[in-house]
Order: sequence, then structure tokens, then C-alpha cells
Amino acid sequence: MKRLALLLLSAVLLTSCANKSMTRYETLAPTLEKKGFDATIAEVKKQQKDLYGSNSEYLYYYDLGVLNHYNRNFDESIKNFEKAEKIYDDLYTKSISNEAAAIVTNDNVRPYRARPFEVLTMYQLQILNYLAKGDVDGALVEVKRSQIAMQSLYQKDQDKVNDNGFLRYLSALVYELDDEKDDAAISYYKTVKAYDESKMGLPNEVYEYVTESLRSLDREDDIKDLKKPELASTPRASAAREKGQEIVVIGYAGHSPILGEMYLSGTFVSGGVMNLYYKDGETGNKVSFTLVAPPVAGAGSETFHIGFALPEVRKHNSRVDHFEVSMDGGNRMKPEKVMSVDDELRRNMEDEKTTTITRTAVRVILRTIAAQKAKSATNTGNVLLDLVKNVGVDVAQGQLEQADLRVGLFLPNSFYMTRIPVDAGSHSVSVAAQGSHGETVGVYNFDNIAVRKGQKVFLIVPAIK
Amino acid sequence: MSKIWTLCLCASLAFLVGCSSGGKKVSRIDANSVTDLSGSWNDTDSRLVADEMIMDCLNRPWYQTMVQQKNGAVPTVVIGKVRNKSHEHINVETFVKDIERALINSGKADFVANAEERSELRDELASQAGNATEETRKDAGMEIGADLMLTGTLNSIVDQEGGEQVIYYQIDMELTDIQSHRKVWVGDKKIKKFVNQSSVKM
Repeated sequence: MKRLALLLLSAVLLTSCANKSMTRYETLAPTLEKKGFDATIAEVKKQQKDLYGSNSEYLYYYDLGVLNHYNRNFDESIKNFEKAEKIYDDLYTKSISNEAAAIVTNDNVRPYRARPFEVLTMYQLQILNYLAKGDVDGALVEVKRSQIAMQSLYQKDQDKVNDNGFLRYLSALVYELDDEKDDAAISYYKTVKAYDESKMGLPNEVYEYVTESLRSLDREDDIKDLKKPELASTPRASAAREKGQEIVVIGYAGHSPILGEMYLSGTFVSGGVMNLYYKDGETGNKVSFTLVAPPVAGAGSETFHIGFALPEVRKHNSRVDHFEVSMDGGNRMKPEKVMSVDDELRRNMEDEKTTTITRTAVRVILRTIAAQKAKSATNTGNVLLDLVKNVGVDVAQGQLEQADLRVGLFLPNSFYMTRIPVDAGSHSVSVAAQGSHGETVGVYNFDNIAVRKGQKVFLIVPAIK
Repeated sequence: MSKIWTLCLCASLAFLVGCSSGGKKVSRIDANSVTDLSGSWNDTDSRLVADEMIMDCLNRPWYQTMVQQKNGAVPTVVIGKVRNKSHEHINVETFVKDIERALINSGKADFVANAEERSELRDELASQAGNATEETRKDAGMEIGADLMLTGTLNSIVDQEGGEQVIYYQIDMELTDIQSHRKVWVGDKKIKKFVNQSSVKM
């Protein structure tokens, strides 16, 4: 009887364990939408323990880094990203006890190791933090750190794409600012290669700057090697070089997708049929299907209960889709999309699919066997009592199963960028954040921007709506 | 049997006490001691590089030549830009202060304020002109012009494979004659570190 009570108590306790990733999103997303960046930063800090906990410490600092960047608290953003980077580096060492615990419970008990695109966006935003502060040396340090990080990612997973066109493009820009023309040209060249590896096409403006840089250094062979239609002229990039000054508009459009849980559960008899059902994350409909059940050694006619959870990408309906920029009241320009977080997350999920499914399968099999053993070991002989106890064991087992849905919560859906060559002096820039049908969602005005000779001024437009 | 249980209990308690004595501990160490925790650039690197480079600089032939040219007076040095082109956010200001300290303590060179400090001093001078008494007021146009400017760069190369990393720092410094723009001394200092991070722990 004691064993039975213990089992039931465990089941009740486990029932109260909600997936922190879902709670985090449900708590913070409305705050961001209704109250803005300051309130969200305060809420993240206030609820650190409840919403993040020690296993998601990386995400805590990462989210704060992103939010402070949007809020133009560049120094705070830098500090938080530095903490996140330190945690990421330290997590190279894996804890055997954590890994073992994850096998019998779920992956949420492991410390969160950033997804490759999160690591790379961390460096992108750090570079932009320093550039927005006018600290070229600081940005250059981040460029070099990002290259070491990319090399490390490639060493870990050679078969996966661990490059990023936008990061390479930003790196080229920083090298240009530092007057390191050869390094800039190499980064421009790698920009095209990285875009080619990704799903996203190469933005036209980016290609113009790549071509101009390579031509100015007599790297015609490199241009041919890119196997792109050659540009007859590069008016904007040439103007940028001649004038020496630029205003660079970086727009963050919409809200990145999050991860939802696809939970499949069902019962089977050894060597018989397995009835499974899950709830479709997009439609909310319950879908059921039947498979041939695997034979379980030593099993009789008893039923086995299984449940497993897998992460799936859930897209937001972002209100902001793109931007229009006008300078000094002149013609409107449309910045091009330079990075899609949506694509990056989907690619990451695809890359991780085999590992995730294998880990889930091992976990579920081990737990199902353990649950069956527990059921047999605690049989009382009382049919009703055993039934209640067995249901309790299945509930407990089901509650343990949670998909790892952890992901940075506040990234934009897309990054946009345009470079505007300008004369030294004072300028005003107006950026309209627009929806997919061209409707204006918000307008961001930057008046009296002082541009010194040879300076590049970076304007950040966080339209996370 | 009960003795065995008592022993087990004591051992468990001792283990728990041992575990709980973790947390933060602070102990003072010699400021000149060599400490390496993460493998990153640290105070020891900054101090050792500054001391060694300034010693090398002031013991080269150019020094005697310049002292002779100045009829026995020591040269006056100003520190120009020291750029961090490494992969780490190094506090260049601390490094520059270490260089200033090494230069002043050598007694072989005079030192004038750098451009930023001069600007602040000139503001103070301008303020005195309108506010301080005539006896205590300092005159403009009495600054000492530097003979030489010390500039430098901090560079790094990182080679890594798995948990192993070799970090190579190269610090280059140059002393340039402000009048002729002639480089009178070029020195470098190299530091190589090996960092090994285990891939697993209990």
C-alpha cells in the first residue's frame, strides 16, 4: 500500500510540472505587445527563476541582450550577451549526470545549449551594439569572435550549414570601417557563399556592395567564381566609397516563430496494433492513426501506454512584413531582407530532427519498460486498486514527457537592411514599418542625425509587432 | 549491523557537509602574482608586456643618440593610440596605464599628457583664466611638446579543435619621432597560451 501511495503522490506532483517554455511565452509575449520593451525587460528580470530557471540561464541573458538592444540600451545589451556567451562556452563541458537524467525524464532538465543561429545572431547584435555606439574596435572584436564561433560550429557539425550571410556582410562592413580592405573583400566573398548555402536568395543591394569591393581590389576572378550575373555598374556602392559616409538602416520586422509541442500518445498490445493520436498545432484538430505495434519480449496480453512529445515550429502572424525608408524627405527606398529567422529555425529543426527523434525514442522506450516493471512490481492482487495504480503510473509517465521547446523569444521574424550613401552633415530619416499589404503599422523618425566625415551611422528600427 | 548503519550515516553527513561548504570564498593574493583562469588576456599579461616592452625600448641604441641630441636631457614621450585588434575585449586603458607606469618609473623618459587629457587640462586652463586669482593662475602656451609618440596594436590568432585552443597574442609597439616621423624603435612581444576544456564532467 505504501508503494502505491508513493506512486500516486509522484503522479500528482508530476502533473503540476508545466513546460516552462510555454509559460515563458504566454507570460512575456502579451507584455511585449502591450507594454513595450522596458516592461518586458522588468518582467524577465522579475520572473527569472519561474520562467527561466538555472537550466535556461543562457536564454535569460540572451533574451535580455535582445530586448536591451531594441531599447537602445547598448551597454546593457553588450553585458547580457557577454554573459550568455560565457555560459555557452562553459556548456561545452557536458554533465554526465544531467545527460543521464534527461534520458529518463526529458531534455528540459539539461542546461540549454544555444541553437547555432542563436549563437550567430548573438554576434550580429553585438556587432550592431558596438556600431550603434560608434565603437569600431569593439565591433571588430565581435567580428573575430564570431569567426571563431563559426569555425567551432563547423568543427562540431561539418555536414550542417553553420554560416550566415548577414553576419558575413556585417563583418565586411566592419572591416571596411577599419580600412582593412582585403579582409572586407574576403568577407564580402564569403557573404555570397553563405547566402548560397541558405534558403534565402542573395539580396541585390548586398551583391552590389560585394561586386564593388571585389572590383576595387582587382579581384575579378573572385567575382567570376561566385557564378552570378555580373553587374554592369554599382551606383550605390560606388557612391558610398566616393562619399565615404553612409547611413545604415537596420530594420527588425515581426516576431520570430516559437516552438510548440506535438504530443502523440496511445496504447498498444505487444505484436498487435498501436493506436496513436495527436493534436494538430495549427488547426487544433485531433488526429488519430494506427500502426503495427512492436513485439515486447516477455509481454503477455497487457496493454502498454506510450506518449512522446516533439517540438514543432509555430509561426506568428507578424503585423510588420517590410520597411520603406525615406531620407531628407526624398524618394522612398525599400530595404531588402537580409536574414529570415523563420527559415533559420526551420533549418535548425530539420538539422536536429534525427537527433531529436532518436533521443525521444530511446527515452520513451526506457520509460515504458520501467513503467511496466513498476506496474508488475506493485501489483496488489486487487483488480480495482491495480487499475487505479496502473493509470497513475501511465499519467506520471505521460507528465514526464515534455519536448524541449526552448528558443530565444524576442528575435524578429526578419532582418532588413539598407545602406544610404550621404554627404557629411545633418540628415533626417523616416522609416515606415509596413504590413504585407503595404499598410503602415508604425513610423520611426530619426531627426537631425549628425554624420561626420567618413562616418557610418547605424539606425536600429525594432518593429517587433 | 547497527554500527554499520551508524558509520554509513556519519559518512553521508560528512559528505553532505563537505558539499555544502562550497559557495563563494575570497582570499587575497599578491597583485604581482601570475594567475590564469580562463586563458583570456588578463592583468598579468598587461603588466608583463608593458614592463618588458618599455625595458626593451629604453635599452636600445636610439635612446643614447636622442639623449646626446638633447644635450643630456631625457626624451619626452606621449602615448598615442593603442588599438585592440584582437578577438577579445581587452581593456586597452589598463594596458596604456601599465605602459605609462613602466615609462615613468624607468626615470629615463619624461612624459606628457595624451590628447584626451590635454584637452581636459586646456579646459581647466581656460576656466582658470576667468576665475582663478592672478597669483595662482596658470598661463597658456607653456606646455612641453613631446619628442616621441608611442603607438601600438594588440593582435591575436586563435587555433582550435574541439576543447583545445591555442591563443597567440602579438603586441606591436612603435616609437615615432614627432618632428621627423622617423620610427626610432619597433618592438613586439608574443604570448602563447594553451587552453584545454574537458568535454564531460560528472
